[in-house]
Amino acid sequence: MMPDMARFVYNSLIVILVFNTAISLYGILARPSLVKKLIALTIFSDSLNSFAILVGYRLCKGFEQPVPPIVTRIPPTQEHISKLIATAVDPLPQALVLTAIVISLAVLAFLAALTLRIYYVSGTTDARSLALMRARAAVEGE
Amino acid sequence: MTGLVALLLCLIMGVISLIATYLAIVERDLLKALLFSAVQSTAYAFIYYSLAAPDIVLVYIPVAVGLYPLLLLIVIKKTERYERP
Repeated sequence: MMPDMARFVYNSLIVILVFNTAISLYGILARPSLVKKLIALTIFSDSLNSFAILVGYRLCKGFEQPVPPIVTRIPPTQEHISKLIATAVDPLPQALVLTAIVISLAVLAFLAALTLRIYYVSGTTDARSLALMRARAAVEGE
Repeated sequence: MTGLVALLLCLIMGVISLIATYLAIVERDLLKALLFSAVQSTAYAFIYYSLAAPDIVLVYIPVAVGLYPLLLLIVIKKTERYERP
């Protein structure tokens, strides 16, 4: 019963994350406010990171529960290592996601500074008003 | 039995994150949208914890519940609070 339940939860998590990605993509593309676009961008990157974590997860046979990929005993014995290999999740996606979280923080800081700059120059953070001002400036420039 | 509790936590937090994401995108008040996105980040932290990734949780909670809202709060304070319809 336990592996079936675990598989059900795994599949429903995939569905939930797909919905989250779709909603945040709508927020990035269709919402007019630039700050709302930034909020949607954070949700988008977190959802994609969750996909990477989910790929590294494993569904063990029987009643065994997956454990974090951490050696809890120094120095480890041979049987301890083989038990860890048999039950631990994949550590590689976790290491990559650790880096991706920090990179998305840096990208968000850059975009926030850019949004502030746009507000100081043009007096608005609304994407439609910005497009209108740009078109008007192009017409006056000709 | 702890395995079952972790799975149920995972599912409940997934549903909470879905609702919080929807509310954060739909909300017109940007401050409230920011709070909803912090709720979504907390739910994701619980999901990571029950997916056996405690090292991600240690980095994700200060970054996504602390630094993201702080940065965006500064931006909202210096610009506009409400999204125009």
